[in-house]
Amino acid sequence: MSTFAPTAPIASGWTRAWSGRRRWPLVSVAGGAIAAALVLLPLAFLIIQAQRSGWGEVQRLLLRHSVAVLLWNTVRLTLACTVLCAVLGVGAAWCVERTALPARRLWAVALVLPLGIPDFVVGFGWVSIDPGLHGYLAAVMIMTLALYPLVYLPVASALANLDAGLEEAARSLGLGPWQAFRKVTLRQISPAVLGGCLLVTLALLAEYGAFEIVQYRTFTVEIFTEFKLGFDTAAACALSLVLVLLSVAALGGELALAGRGRAWRAGPGARRIAPRIALGRLSAPVLAGLSALGGLALGVPLGALVYWMLRGSSTTLPSASILAAAGHTAEYSAGAAVLSTVLAVPVSALAIRHRNRVTVLIERLAYLPMALPGLVIALGLVAFSVRYAFALYQSALELIVAYSILFLPLAVVGVRSAMGQASPRLEEVGRSLGCRPATVWRRVTLPLIAPGLGAAFALVFISSATELTATLLLHPTGVNTLATQFWAYTSELSYGAAAPYAALMVAISAIPAYVISRRMTTLARGERAR
Amino acid sequence: MHRRTLASLSPFLIAAVTLLTACGGSSHGGPTITLYNGQHEQTTAALVTAFEKQTGITVHVRSGDEATLGNQILQEGESSPADVFYTENTPVLEALRERGLLAPVPPPTLAAVPSRYDSAQGEWVGVSARASALVYNASQIKPSQLPSSILELAEPKWKGKVGFAPSETDFQPLITSIVKLDGAATAERWLKGLQANGKLYPDNETVVAQVNNGESAVGLINHYYWYRLRAELGQGGMRSALHYYAPGDPGDLVNVSGAAVLKSSSHRAAAQAFLAFLVSRAGQETIAHSHSYEYPLRPGVSPASGLRPFAQLKPAPLTPAELGDGSEALALEQKLGLL
Amino acid sequence: MSRLSVSDLWKGYASTEVLQGVDLEVHAGSLTAVLGLSGCGKTTLLRVIAGFERAERGSVSLADRTLDDGRTYVPPEKRCVGYVPQEGALFPHLTVEANVGFGLSRRERRGDAVAELLEMVGIAPLARRLPHELSGGERQRVALARALARRPHALLLDEPFSSLDASLRTRVREEVHALLREQGVTTVLVTHDQEEALSLADTVAVLRDGRIIQQGAPAELYERPADQRLARFLGAVNVIDAEFEDGTARTTLGALELRDDPASGGAAAGVVMVRPEQLDVRLREEGAHGESSAAGLGGRVERCRYYGHDALLHIRPEEPSGGEMLLARVHGEQALPVGTRVTVAARGPVTPL
Repeated sequence: MSTFAPTAPIASGWTRAWSGRRRWPLVSVAGGAIAAALVLLPLAFLIIQAQRSGWGEVQRLLLRHSVAVLLWNTVRLTLACTVLCAVLGVGAAWCVERTALPARRLWAVALVLPLGIPDFVVGFGWVSIDPGLHGYLAAVMIMTLALYPLVYLPVASALANLDAGLEEAARSLGLGPWQAFRKVTLRQISPAVLGGCLLVTLALLAEYGAFEIVQYRTFTVEIFTEFKLGFDTAAACALSLVLVLLSVAALGGELALAGRGRAWRAGPGARRIAPRIALGRLSAPVLAGLSALGGLALGVPLGALVYWMLRGSSTTLPSASILAAAGHTAEYSAGAAVLSTVLAVPVSALAIRHRNRVTVLIERLAYLPMALPGLVIALGLVAFSVRYAFALYQSALELIVAYSILFLPLAVVGVRSAMGQASPRLEEVGRSLGCRPATVWRRVTLPLIAPGLGAAFALVFISSATELTATLLLHPTGVNTLATQFWAYTSELSYGAAAPYAALMVAISAIPAYVISRRMTTLARGERAR
Repeated sequence: MHRRTLASLSPFLIAAVTLLTACGGSSHGGPTITLYNGQHEQTTAALVTAFEKQTGITVHVRSGDEATLGNQILQEGESSPADVFYTENTPVLEALRERGLLAPVPPPTLAAVPSRYDSAQGEWVGVSARASALVYNASQIKPSQLPSSILELAEPKWKGKVGFAPSETDFQPLITSIVKLDGAATAERWLKGLQANGKLYPDNETVVAQVNNGESAVGLINHYYWYRLRAELGQGGMRSALHYYAPGDPGDLVNVSGAAVLKSSSHRAAAQAFLAFLVSRAGQETIAHSHSYEYPLRPGVSPASGLRPFAQLKPAPLTPAELGDGSEALALEQKLGLL
Repeated sequence: MSRLSVSDLWKGYASTEVLQGVDLEVHAGSLTAVLGLSGCGKTTLLRVIAGFERAERGSVSLADRTLDDGRTYVPPEKRCVGYVPQEGALFPHLTVEANVGFGLSRRERRGDAVAELLEMVGIAPLARRLPHELSGGERQRVALARALARRPHALLLDEPFSSLDASLRTRVREEVHALLREQGVTTVLVTHDQEEALSLADTVAVLRDGRIIQQGAPAELYERPADQRLARFLGAVNVIDAEFEDGTARTTLGALELRDDPASGGAAAGVVMVRPEQLDVRLREEGAHGESSAAGLGGRVERCRYYGHDALLHIRPEEPSGGEMLLARVHGEQALPVGTRVTVAARGPVTPL
C-alpha cells in the first residue's frame, strides 16, 4: 500500500533519488528487496530440504532412468504447448484487434475468460466428455486451450497500441501483406509474444491438476507423488530444483531473445492507427475458428458444470455457505491482487528505469515461483511461519502472501508494460510545476500506469480465485473458499453440489476478465480518436 | 470380555474429561481442539456436532486431502496447531508414526474396536473400514464371468477392460497385500499385467463413474465409491454392481480409516476424548448413518442398510499396521512407471 | 524579475563529461538562447538548471538564491523555474485545462487563472480537449501556459519549436516571443536553429563541446564570431585572405574597413570574414573580359539558390585574380542565371578571424 500513499518516506526516497547522480529511489529499492525476499523464501526452503536428504541421495533421485523420461515429457509438452499458445494467441489477437470482426467486443472478453476456469474444472470437463482422454496429446490440447489467453492478452494490447506507420512503410517498400506482418508487425509485437510465451512455459512447468487427470507425467506430477504417497519432502524438493533450473533456462532464453528492445514509445508524438481489415470471404472461416477455440476452451468445462448441476441429485439451491465461500474467495483474491500489484510496481520501476544486472535479476527472480507447484510454495511458507512467524500461520494474510508470491509474474507483466509508457519526462515536468515527488506520483504516474495496474490486479485476482493446492494448506481453519468447497464436494462424488461453486468461481473471474479487455480497448480507442 | 468392559467404559472416560475440562475451562464454554480432517467432510461434520454437544469441547475442523494434511503436519512438526488427525487411510498415519509425531492412544479407546484394526504400537485407532471390491458394468459382464481373485485381472482376457487409479492411496494397500501374501515377484507380474490390461484414471471417483458409463468393464475400488455414486445418481442411474473376491484373496482387503492424537498437541485430554468419541457407540452410529457408506468398526454397530454385513467380509489376513506406510508398493509403481 | 547565473558547471554521465565548466549569465527579464548542435549538452544544461540533474561542480543561482552548488540543492519543485520540454510533454490523461492548472492550488484552479492563461496563449476554446486531440502548435501553447501559470522566476524552453512545421513555426515563435516580452520572465531557450536564436533572443550563448564559447547580443555574435567554425554555424560566410594595414584589410575585393584591427596585435596578414549580404553583385558588360575593374572583382555565376525573398549566388572569380568561390546574397528579383558574368564588390566593415 505504501507505494501508493504519499507519505513522508516516499518523498524523502524520491528526493534522494533526484538529488544524486543516478541515485536509486529508496522506496523502489525497498519494495524490490521485499519482493525478492518473498520470492527467495520458498527457494531457500527447497534448497534446505533437498540438502537434508544429502547430495548423494539427490544425485540418486535425479539420475534415475525415470527422470530422463520426466524431463523429456516435461520439455516436449512445454515446447508444443508454448508454440501452439503463441500461434493461437497471436492469431486470435490479430483477428480481434486488426480485422473488422463482427461482435469483436464480445470476442475480446470471451477469449480471455478461459483464464478464469480452474485447471481442475477444465480437466473435469474434458474427462466428463471423453473419459478415455489421456496422455501427451490430451495434455497438449487441454493446456493449450487453458493457457493461450496468457499470450492473447499482451499481444492484443500490443497490437492495439501499434504504430501502423511502420507497416505502411514496409508495404511501400514492396513487401506483401504477409511479409509486412512477418517482418514488421511481428517484430514489433515480439516482446509481447515472448512475454506471453514465458508465462505459458512457467505455468506449464508448475501444472499438476490437469496432468493428474489425463495421466501425463511431468516433473510436477512426480513431485506431487513424492509428497502425497511417499511423504518424502526431501525427494520432492530435490526434484523441484530441476523445475527451478528449467525455469531459469526459460527466463534466460526470453531475456536473450527479447534483448533490450523493450522500450515502449513514449511521449505524445503522432501515431498512425491502422485501419481494420475487412474480412470479406474470410469472415466465415475466421468466425468458425474463433468459435471453435471459444467452444473448446470455454464451452467444454462450462458445459460439464451445467450438466452436473442438472443431473446430480446432490445439487441443492446454493446456500448461504456458498455466498460466504464466494466472499472469502473474493477477499483473499483481492488482497493478493493488491499486494502483488503493489510489489510489481517497484520491481518493474527498477527494471525499466534503473536497468542493471541487479534489477534485472530481481525482475527475473519474480518469475521463478510461477514455475513451482503451489504445494511447494505453500509448504515453504508453512515451514517458515511455524518457526518464525507463528502468529501468521494459517492466517488470511499468509494465504494472501502465498498467492502474491505465486502470481507476482502476472502482476509484473501487467505493470511493466504500463510503466514503460509512463515517461519520466512527465514526472519531471510535474515537479517543475511545484509538486512534491509524492504528489507527482499520485497525480501523474499513478493515472498513467493505472491501466497496467488494473490488468495486473485482474490477472492476479483471477489466478488466486482459482488456486487450490496452496489454498488447502494455508487457508484459515474453518474458512472455506469456492475452490476448497468445490474440491471437497468432488472428492465425495457430489458433482451436483460442487458445480455451483465452480460456476460461481468462473462468474467472479469473468468480472476482472471483462475489465481487462475493456481497459485494453478503451485505451486504444482513446488514442484512436485522434 | 475384558475388551468389552473397557469399551463400555469409554463414555465415562468422555464424561470425565468433559467434567475436568469444564472445571478448568474458560468461560467460553470449554476448551478448543483443532482437527485435521482427511475424511469424508459431511460425516466428520456430523461427528463433530455430536461431540461438541456431548462434551462442550469446540472442534475447529480443517479439511483437506489426507496426504496434503500429512505433509503439512510433517512441516509443522513441534508447532503443529493440529490436535487430532483423522484420515481415510492408515498409511499416512503410519508415516507420521514412524517419524515419532503421534501420541499413544489410551487402551480403552484402542479396545473399543477389534485390535487388528489399530496401530500395532497403539498410536492410532481404527475408526471405520471400507472393503476393496470390484465394480463391474452389468451390461458388459455377466456375474459368471467375474474373477474370484484380484490376480486374475492381470490375465490377457481382461485386456482393455480394467479401470484403476494407481495414484490413489487406496491402491497401494492392494499391492502391499499381494507382496505380503504371494511375494514381490507375483506382485510385480500382476502390476505389469494390470498395466497392460487397464485404463488409468486419476481417482477412484472417476473409476466408478467410468465403469458405470461403460467406458471400462470393471474397476478396482473400495465399496463406498459405488454407494456414493448411487446416492448421487439414484438407483435408476446405476448400470453397475459390486463384486467381492473370494474370501482371503489378497484383493479382498479391508482398508481402515483411523485417527490419532499428535504428540505436539497441547490439548491432549480433549483430543483423546475426541478419539474416544469416534469409537464410542454414539460416534460409530453417526458414521453408520452418514452418507459415507463406511463400516463402523465397533462391534455391535451395524452399517448402513444395503451394505453387505461386515461380518460376511472375509478379508485377507493382514492388519492395516502390516500394510505399513505403502512405501514398498510405491517404489514398485514408480519402477513400472505407473506414477 | 530574476537574474539567472550559471558558473563553472560540470556534469557528466558514465564516462563522458557533457558539461565542462559552463558559464552563463541571463539578465533579469531577458531571453537568452543557448545555441548548439544536437548532442552538445544543451538539454543537460537545462535539466541541471531545472533541478532534474545535480551538478557535479559549479553553481546555479537564481536572483541571488543558490539552487545548486555542491552543498545546497534545491529540488525542482522549490526552484520556481518553469520548464517546457520538447514536444510539450503534456500529461496525456488530463484535459488542456487540467494541464494548465496542474501547478496551481485547488483554489487557484477554481478561479479565473486557468481561463486567463488559455486566453493569453489563444487556446481558450480547446480547454476541454485531451492532448492527443491537439495539433503540435496547440500543444506547445498549452505547455507554455502550463509553465507560466505559476509565475516562475525563470522559464526554460527546450527546442520548443523544432517539432512544428515551417509555416507554423514562424507564427508560434512570434507569438511566444511577444508573450514572453509581455510577461517579462527571465527565459533560457535552447535550440540548434541559429535563425531562431538570432531572431528571438536578446542574448545568444553558443555551447560547443560542453562549454560556452561565446555569449553576446545576436548582432555581435553574427558580426564578430569567436572563430571560423562559429562564423559558419551562424550563417554562410566568405573567408578571404587579407593583409592588414592601418585599420583596413587589403583583399582581392579591394581595401575593406576592419571592425577590429588585428595589426594592433602584431599580425600583418590573415583572413577576414565577409558575409554574403556584404557583397554587391552587378551585371558586367560584354567585352570587358577578365579584367577586374576598379569597382570590383569579375566572376561568373556558377550556381543560384533561390529562396523567394532572396537568393544566394555562388560566384567563381575569374582569372587572373582567381581565388575561392564567393557567396553573395541578393534580392530575390536579382537571381541571375548560371553563367552570367558579374562584378562583385564588398561593403565593409569586415571582421578578421
